[in-house]
Order: sequence, then structure tokens, then C-alpha cells
Amino acid sequence: MKKNWLIGLAVLVVIVGYFVMQQKPAPEAPKETPKQEAPAPKAAETPKAEEKPAEAPKPAEAPKAAEEPKPEEKPAEPAKTEEVKAGGQPVKIGYLAALTGDWAAYGQTEEKTARLAVEEINAKGGVLGRPVELVVYDFRTRAEDAVNAVRRMIEEDKVVAIVGANGSGINIATAPIVNRLGVSQVGTVSTNPLVTVDEKGAVRPYSFRICFTDPYQGKLIAFFAAKELKKMNAAILYDVGNDYSQGLREFFMASYGEYGGKVVADLGFRGGQDVDFRAQLTEIREKGADVLVLPNMGKEMALIMKQARELGLNEIVFVGGDGYGEFMWEIAGEAMEGSYWINHVAPEDPAMQPFFAAYKERWNDECKEFVNGVLGYDSVYWVVDAIARAGSDDPKAIRDALEATKDLKLHHATITMDPATHNPVDKDGVVLIAKEGKGQFFTKIKP
Amino acid sequence: MATLIQQIINGLSLGSVYALIAVGYSLVYSILLFSNFAHGGFLVIGGYICYGVLHTFGTGIWVSGALALAGAGLAAVLTERLAYRPIRERTNVTLYLLIASLGMSIVIENIFVIVAGGRFRALPPVIPTTPVNLMGMATTSAFDLLSLVSAVVFLGALQLFLSKTRWGLAIRAAAYDLRTAGLMGVNVNLLISIVFFVAGALAAVGGIFLSVRYTLYPQLGAITIKAFVAAVIGGLGSLPGAVVGSLILGLAEMLTAGFISSQMRDLVVFSMLVITLLVKPTGLFGKSVSEKV
Repeated sequence: MKKNWLIGLAVLVVIVGYFVMQQKPAPEAPKETPKQEAPAPKAAETPKAEEKPAEAPKPAEAPKAAEEPKPEEKPAEPAKTEEVKAGGQPVKIGYLAALTGDWAAYGQTEEKTARLAVEEINAKGGVLGRPVELVVYDFRTRAEDAVNAVRRMIEEDKVVAIVGANGSGINIATAPIVNRLGVSQVGTVSTNPLVTVDEKGAVRPYSFRICFTDPYQGKLIAFFAAKELKKMNAAILYDVGNDYSQGLREFFMASYGEYGGKVVADLGFRGGQDVDFRAQLTEIREKGADVLVLPNMGKEMALIMKQARELGLNEIVFVGGDGYGEFMWEIAGEAMEGSYWINHVAPEDPAMQPFFAAYKERWNDECKEFVNGVLGYDSVYWVVDAIARAGSDDPKAIRDALEATKDLKLHHATITMDPATHNPVDKDGVVLIAKEGKGQFFTKIKP
Repeated sequence: MATLIQQIINGLSLGSVYALIAVGYSLVYSILLFSNFAHGGFLVIGGYICYGVLHTFGTGIWVSGALALAGAGLAAVLTERLAYRPIRERTNVTLYLLIASLGMSIVIENIFVIVAGGRFRALPPVIPTTPVNLMGMATTSAFDLLSLVSAVVFLGALQLFLSKTRWGLAIRAAAYDLRTAGLMGVNVNLLISIVFFVAGALAAVGGIFLSVRYTLYPQLGAITIKAFVAAVIGGLGSLPGAVVGSLILGLAEMLTAGFISSQMRDLVVFSMLVITLLVKPTGLFGKSVSEKV
């Protein structure tokens, strides 16, 4: 009896605790999209993925995921068509989105922005004089579902091109299918180099991406630190066990040297294990670095900045990449102020304001996952532009047109494809400045 | 020279937090002769209670901290009652207790994953972290100095409790020989509950300091592995040993990271553990346990 009483007490404590934690004012879930990498088949491709789940908002916590109706929940069923204003047989574009599962908040945003783009395009007469039809499949964050979905899109729905997914691992998994069946796929936030080239460096003919790659991001960070901030003595503190971090570091160092900068301290830590960085920061202080480059994920970067300020490193400027997340404010607090983050898009980018307004009007909601939203939206515009330039709905002609994309002005950037890699070259990087409790648009840069 | 002083201060402040946790390990070990791996869980419980009270009721750090200490202490007592006592009453093989404690550490961690979510949470700035200049030689944060002072205060209080009170005397007697202490009229179950309460409360102090410095999340308790190593180096079961071992470990970590390579940090720490076990298995101040196990 006594033991039952104790167990009852323990259960009561858990329940009370649950309600207490639910009631406390929850700081905002990260607005920024931590880049989503699905478990990819190769070890070399996965390290970012391992860190993400802890930092990405869980579906249950993401307000949008919980509130929104989920019209496309039926996983294997393609979405029905848009309201069509142009005449004739529709041109079908596939969209691979995570509408359920861990990335549902991101996937649902992408789907909505893609629908918005298609509606706008159809309202203006569609493409080739025909309406555009969006065929959406849910891949539930699973590579095997993505592979099945892509096969069905191509073989049964006869799509002429596919947009998505928003994770490198998923695109790497579907690459063999789309390349064998000859239908182009455009990744939205898939930054791993292997999405568009194979291990030997040969381009995958039907694989494209709209975002920049990790190596390019390293170059952008170097350019910004040396040319915009004029900080020529950099320290870098990177995660030795993470390919994303290692890659950014490597390409940052190569480019920073070219811009005349000098790396005075190059120090590592073990991601996921180390939480105390004062030893490295002490050395960085001794070396007199004026900028600290942080090619890492949110939690570690926040701890590093906090501890740096505590050690009296008041002058040093922090510059990081797209691992930035709004939740870092809770950890680092005021130490975040004045730090810079190279990213794909910014919510305050003046060029994007019409899009955000249109999104709000169409869906009666803010586009919180703005990186996914903007890149999904522009990917549809890019594919439609390629169909128009191809002059036909033949997937091969569309592929050629995608590859030949040059100086195409989209909403968030002007893109030109590199035929050797299928990556956008010299794409604008958006710099966010951490100010007054959130990441704000600072400037656009192009090396 | 300034760098060396800075790294030594960094190491001492890290070591002082380890010490609070390691003492809890040693305290339990000295009585029951097993390493309570659920100890990291009490640290997390303390951190979350402090966070929850601060956010829900808006009370100051003193009230929140006191509630966190009491809560973590009670959780430790409850853990002992639910998981360890039934085993203790059936067998005197301490290996089963060790396995149960591993299970409890996972249970506690997962309760917090469900209740509070895996998100990182930061305690509001209840403990000042402003930089403090030490005579121009080094800079540390007010937080580091406070954690050092708190460790000294709490460990001093523990020492007083053990040396000046009747229950302290009973604990020292039980640490020498639990069975005989029981035969001499000491209420062994109550004594063990008191030991767990004290260990849990000390873990909560460590938990609050760690939460302020490194944020709070359900896996924060994993850091206790270092405190455990410190307790082993100092000598499991010895309270001064736990403190000395923690300071040595904190210094070793910081000096390795600062002067050799930050990647060598864990290699050095765990090499020290292996060398200690090879050269002096009982640690620096440890008592011989051969006749008891």
C-alpha cells in the first residue's frame, strides 16, 4: 500500500509538472528554419541532421502545425488542382513536401507558398497558354516515402518537373529516380553539395537547387567579414565532428585569405558534448581577433557568444551562417546583439514584402517559416519560367532550360545556373543583424 | 602569464561546479557502496524546478532556489524509496543498485523530455554574469566567482552537518560500517533517506549553476559523468577527495584546452581516470573497499 501511495505521488508530480511547464510563457519557437537534413545514406552527409531535431521546433510546439487545417494529410493522394483561369490541358508540376512528421511546419508552408505562386501564375494566363497544376505529395520526412512519391508523380501523374524537398538527404535519395526517369527536381533548402553532383563530382543531369551550397556560404561569410566589416583578424571556432561546420570553416579560410584576411585562431570543439568554451575563448582573446566566425548550429553558437561576453570580449564581432535560430536569443540574451548571420532570405528584405503581404492575404497567417516559404515560392516561378523558355512541356527541354538559366530575376534573388554543378552561382547572400530581440535584415551581399 | 592565470580561474570555477555534483556521488557511495548514476537526473530536476518557479510565480532566485533544493532532495528520496530500497531489502549485491540507477537516470531524463520538451531553456539572469576584472591580470564573470563561493559555502555547510550533528555522526558511522551502525540503533532507512536528500539538494545547486551557464535541457545530467570521474580520481566515498578531484579535473580540462588542444580535453580527462585506476584504484583519498564488496 505504501508503495502504491509513493507511485501515485510520483505520477501526480509528473502531471503537475506538465501543466506548470505548459503554462509558463513559452518563448517563441525558432522562426528561422534550421536547415533540414534528412538522414542520408552516407555518413558524410548526415552530421547536420543529427543536431537538428533538438533545435528545430517539434511539430507539436510549432503553432502553425497545430492550428492549420491539413488538407493534404492523405499521404499518397496528390492534391487536387488550383482554380484555373487559363485554358487547355494543364501543365503538371510535382511538389514534394513534408506535410506531416517532424518537418510539417516547414512543408505546409512550402505547399502554401507554392499554391500561391501557381494561383498568381494562372491568374496571369499560366504558361504556354495553359494552366499550371500543382501535384503535391507528402513525404512525411522519410526518404522511402519520397522515393515512392517521386516515382508516382512521374509515372502516373506525368509531371514535367518536381519542386522539393527541403532537405539534402531526401534529394540525395530521390536523385537516382529523377535522373533515370528524366524529370528535373529542384531542391529548396538542400545545401549539401551531393544533392546536385555525385561523389565523383559529376553533375546529376536532372538535379537542381535554388539555395546556395555550404561551400558558397563559407565564401559569403569570408566576404562579409573582410570586405563589409573590414575585420581582417578572424578567429574561427568550429565543431570538429560536423561536416557542415568543417565545410564552412574550410571554405571560409580559403576565401578569407584571398580577401587579405588572416585567421589568427583556428580552434575546435566537440559538438553535442562540449558546453564550456572559455578555454578556447581565452586563447582567441590573447590572439587579438577582431571577428569570431561561428560555422555551427544554434545552441553552441549561443553559448559561445554568451561566454565570450562574460570573459570580457566586448569588441569582437560575431559572424555566423544559416545555423542561426531565433531560439538562440533565449540562451545568449544580450550577447546576441550586433551579431551578423549569413542566410538565404530575411523577413524584412524590402524585396520580399509584397510576397509576405500576399501570403497573409491568401492564407490569413504570417509566413513564419520564411526561408522555406520564399524558396518554395521562387522555385515554382523558376520552373515555370524554364517551361516558358523551353517552349514545350517536354521534361528534357525543361531540364535544358533550367540548366541554361541566366540572370533570372526572382523575388528573393537573381539566379544563374552553373551547368557544371547545377548550383546557383554568385547568388545574393542575405545578412541578418541580431537586433532588439530578433534577426533583422541588414544587407544583401555578393562576393 | 595572464593566459595561464585566466585558464586557472576558468578551471577552478568549472571544478567548483563539478565538486558540488561529485560530493553527492561520494556521499551516496560512502553509505551504500554504489555509484548512483541517477544523480545527474536530480541536477536536471533542480534546474527545472528553479526555472518553473521563476517563470510561473515570478519569485526571486532565493525562493526558487530553495524550492529547487527541496524538490530535488525529495525526488532523490523518492527515487531511493521506489527504485533502490526494494532491491536493498532483497539482496546486498550493489551491482543491482547500479543497474537500477542507470535505469532511473533514463526514466528521469525521459520524463522531462515528455513534460518539458527537448527545447533549450535559459534561466533568466538571476545570477549576474557581468565581467569582473581581477587586478588587470584576468577577467572572469561575477557568475564564476559566485559559483566558487557557493561551492565553498555549501560544502562547508555539509562538513558542519557531518561533523557537528547527531545525524552527521550516524552518517559517518554508517559510512564506516552500515550494518554495525544499524545494529547500534541507527535507523538505517531514515539515514539513507537523509543522505539522498542532501545529495539531491547539492545536485540541485549544481543544476542551477549549470542551467545559468549552459542552459537547461533534459540531457544536462550527462555532464555528471565528468563529476563522477572527478569523484573516482579523488576517491569514491571521500568528500575531500571529491572536491580535490573536481578541482584537478576542472583545471586539467581548461589547461588542456587552452595550451594543448580543445579536442584533447576528453582524452586527457579519461586518461587521468584510467591512470588513477591503474596506479591507485581507491583514488587520492579513497578508502579501501576490498573487504566490503
